[in-house]
Amino acid sequence: MSHRVDPTLIKEVEKFGKGSWNECFHCGQCTANCPLTEEGSLFPRSGYRALQMGMRDKLQAGVEPWLCYYCGDCSKQCPRDANPGETMMVLRRWLTSRYDWTGLAKKFYTSHWWELIAVLVIGTIVGLLFSVFNPNGIVTELNPDGGVRINDMFPIKWVHLGDLVMAACIAFLLVTNLFRMWYFTILKQKETRVPFVLYFTEVWNLVVHFATQKKFNKCDNKKYWAGHWLLMSGYVIMFTMIVAFLPWFQTDIIYEWYEPQRLLGYYATFGLTVGLIYFFWGRIKKAAKSTFQFSHISDWLFIIMLLLTTLTGIALHFFRIYGMAEATYWMYIFHMAILVPMLVIEVPFSKWSHLAYRPFAAYFARVKKAAVSRNAVKEKLVLN
Amino acid sequence: MAEKKLTAVIFFNPRNYRNKADCAELSAYIQTHSGHDAVWNSSVQPWDDAELAAYIRLYSNVAEVWDPCELPWDNAEKLAKKISAKKISRIVIAGELPGIIKSYVARAMMLAGESAEQVWLADFHEHGASDLQGISSDKAKAVLLAAFYQLPFEMISVPAELPVNPTTLVIGGGIAGSQASLEIAEAGLDVYLVERSGTIGGHMAMFDKTFPTLDCAACILTPKMVEVGQHPHIKLRTYCEVKEVTGVPGNYTVKILKKARMVNLSTCIGCGTCTEKCPVNVFSEFDSGTTMRKAIYIPFPQAVPNKYLIDVANCTKITANKCGVCAKVCPVADCIDYNEKDTEEIITVGNIIVATGFKTFDATRVEQYGYGKYPNVLTSLEFERLINASGPTGGEINFRVQDKKQNWIFTQTGDSPRKVGVIHCVGSRDENHNSHCSKVCCMYSLKLAHLVKEKLPDAEVYEYYIDMRAFGKGYEEFYERIREEGIHMIRGKTAKIEESGKKLKLRGEDMEGGKLLEQEMDMVILAVGLEPREDAGEIARMIGLDTEKGWFREANQLSDPVGTSNGGIYVAGVCQGPKDIPDTVAQASAAASRVIQCVIRGKVAGNQNGVPLSEIETMVKQFSMEEIA
Repeated sequence: MSHRVDPTLIKEVEKFGKGSWNECFHCGQCTANCPLTEEGSLFPRSGYRALQMGMRDKLQAGVEPWLCYYCGDCSKQCPRDANPGETMMVLRRWLTSRYDWTGLAKKFYTSHWWELIAVLVIGTIVGLLFSVFNPNGIVTELNPDGGVRINDMFPIKWVHLGDLVMAACIAFLLVTNLFRMWYFTILKQKETRVPFVLYFTEVWNLVVHFATQKKFNKCDNKKYWAGHWLLMSGYVIMFTMIVAFLPWFQTDIIYEWYEPQRLLGYYATFGLTVGLIYFFWGRIKKAAKSTFQFSHISDWLFIIMLLLTTLTGIALHFFRIYGMAEATYWMYIFHMAILVPMLVIEVPFSKWSHLAYRPFAAYFARVKKAAVSRNAVKEKLVLN
Repeated sequence: MAEKKLTAVIFFNPRNYRNKADCAELSAYIQTHSGHDAVWNSSVQPWDDAELAAYIRLYSNVAEVWDPCELPWDNAEKLAKKISAKKISRIVIAGELPGIIKSYVARAMMLAGESAEQVWLADFHEHGASDLQGISSDKAKAVLLAAFYQLPFEMISVPAELPVNPTTLVIGGGIAGSQASLEIAEAGLDVYLVERSGTIGGHMAMFDKTFPTLDCAACILTPKMVEVGQHPHIKLRTYCEVKEVTGVPGNYTVKILKKARMVNLSTCIGCGTCTEKCPVNVFSEFDSGTTMRKAIYIPFPQAVPNKYLIDVANCTKITANKCGVCAKVCPVADCIDYNEKDTEEIITVGNIIVATGFKTFDATRVEQYGYGKYPNVLTSLEFERLINASGPTGGEINFRVQDKKQNWIFTQTGDSPRKVGVIHCVGSRDENHNSHCSKVCCMYSLKLAHLVKEKLPDAEVYEYYIDMRAFGKGYEEFYERIREEGIHMIRGKTAKIEESGKKLKLRGEDMEGGKLLEQEMDMVILAVGLEPREDAGEIARMIGLDTEKGWFREANQLSDPVGTSNGGIYVAGVCQGPKDIPDTVAQASAAASRVIQCVIRGKVAGNQNGVPLSEIETMVKQFSMEEIA
């Protein structure tokens, strides 16, 4: 297959983060060091080659950056200090912007102001919506068991409706982006034809990789995997509860501690807190040649907003069960003013999108691999 | 009355600014505006800024001293503002290589509305304020005064031709030192050849074959060594070290430490009875630690001088006053003297050739290859000894085995490998270790592959390389030849080695095949690079040489590759930078020819002292009186 060389590619990717791709002299140590390298997916070096040569289609077709969990083993041994691990990170940002058809991802990643202002604007709108247009105001009357009547203050019906609309928007954006990802990685790559049936036989990969992140566990640094998994599981549980099952989760009744609402909530909070502390500490320490040596603004925004959401969520919980109506009211508004922009900006356009791209990348990689081996078998049959 | 205009003095000492937190701007400026790294690494003793600042204030009340670290180096306009604010009309930059910052300062002067002509340089080194021991404080003061009052620099020192003592000192007895000594001695001049170990020969004596001709290294080297040992004009000082060098070009006084050998050089007959009976076993340096030697030993059978010596650190007679068997069995009376003490010898020479060589990279630093942990991962130097017919196995390629005392050594017995891997660039071209290319490893790796094939025709040999650098006469042809011998060339450096059973599992990328490689080898050779010796810095300070990443710096890589910044001192061999044997020999001969040229002319380039400081001070005092008036 021929490749069109695009000399502007390297300049374009450079906007997405610190990179030193011209340093690489192709010794291949990073590839061999990577615990995830296997037959057919030779990275990170292949990415460097595509970058240096300006092979846009090839770089765009690669799902390898999504398979990388940035354990940093490649960067540690790199004889040129080219930081392959960070390059993978930069490529993930670039790919996110390529998948996103709105062009907003590119704006958010390449301009600090765009991302910050977008967060502020949406946060302000949400805050105003809850505080100014709130029909009920602060309801000081408490439940018989001493809890704040939060669903009277903020009509749960409307909140849930808004919730679902937001989820639908995010889902629409993500699904269309995933479709583009599929187009770039499989459909546009004409040399491997993928039989339709493989999409069904390999679908279990999607679930397994999402739930266990088993590839990540291949990295030597198990602490990193554990921190990431706690964060991810906590996030997914919380997200599901507040978006899909809000009326079940957010009630005026104070449940006993062993009821599923509270247990799940506590687990999610624990996972989020521990994971966030791990990431926060790492990014502050910036240990040389580690995962956290370089931090892009999107990395920081991601952690800070999630941390604020978690902290306000914890405060909200205690204010509510101890019957502090006014504190609950304001904390709820604050919580929402951070939570909503975080979901709306980060999930489809920024760092959170990896939640969807990672498992799909593993899935597409498996599908492609299966197709390659299937085609090879077929060819053999034909030849025989 | 006209406004009083001031003169600013900037003391510029580049090596003080590197990696200094509050000096990052200047450091970056120097990095981008000076052509080479050497500006950071001068080993010459610096001067004391504060002392000179106090001194210039004594002589002028219009001088203002600026610390270059506190000046802005990112924008000349900022400096111009400072110049205007302080009413400066003249700037003197004093120190080492002040020219680096001259253009910037001159631009700032222009922007400030002053004359760019009024930037004066006082280069301490150029105007003869430095000697072997560093910058002389008095001379620096004189240079500073001359620049400040615009006196001619010739008053302080003039380049001159100094008379030359015809005797030469060569430091280091490897192939470079031996070659240079022979060349000079053949011209009929006396040479002192000082060698630290018990024999001359250096690293080349350890090699089995040489590339690209596959000549036996010993066949080329040992006749030369014997010649050095017997030459009437060469005074060989083995087991000695140069401790101090003083003097001026053409007339250096050198203090040599003669370490106690404990064996009388003139009476020892080299029979070897002492070694046979010696009960102490230590790793042999000559065999690169692959076998054992005794505490009284001869480095190798062809050593020059062919005499024994006692390893003071390990001999139990010396350390614990037990044993003494060697003296008892020695057939020559009073040949072994345990009470011998280190002595000193003082010699005077006219020229010095520094040929101190290198050390190989310590492979334990690359943890992923498990050298030191897996017995069948060897360094190239160990393999040279292994495959050498006079080596521990008599030239058979055997696996390492453990002796009774659990030391891993090579012996005549043992199995041979079937698959051998050679990993290039170990410790070279790697920002984690040395960024330089060691120049010889590609070629010697090919040579080693050939030697394996020669000894074990059925063995499979794999070369793992990043780039194949076959740069010399006949080298590319050698590479082609080795390829045709059926050696597997794999582009892609091995990332790690793991032991699985008795095999070594190598993981790497095969770039040309576009796949991940996991191969099992029986033996792996690490092509370790070359590094400056640990004490190269000390030697540089002693002799007044500049270093560049530990290598001694030549006067000019293109036009004067053997001269140094000091007259009468030359460099030869790998101590100046990685090179192979042909280049080393060529450079040694070149250095020798420079010495011979010097002696025949009877003159060497140096500096002659001009007017003493006190006279310059008197002269300047008159100016400063006028200035005050």
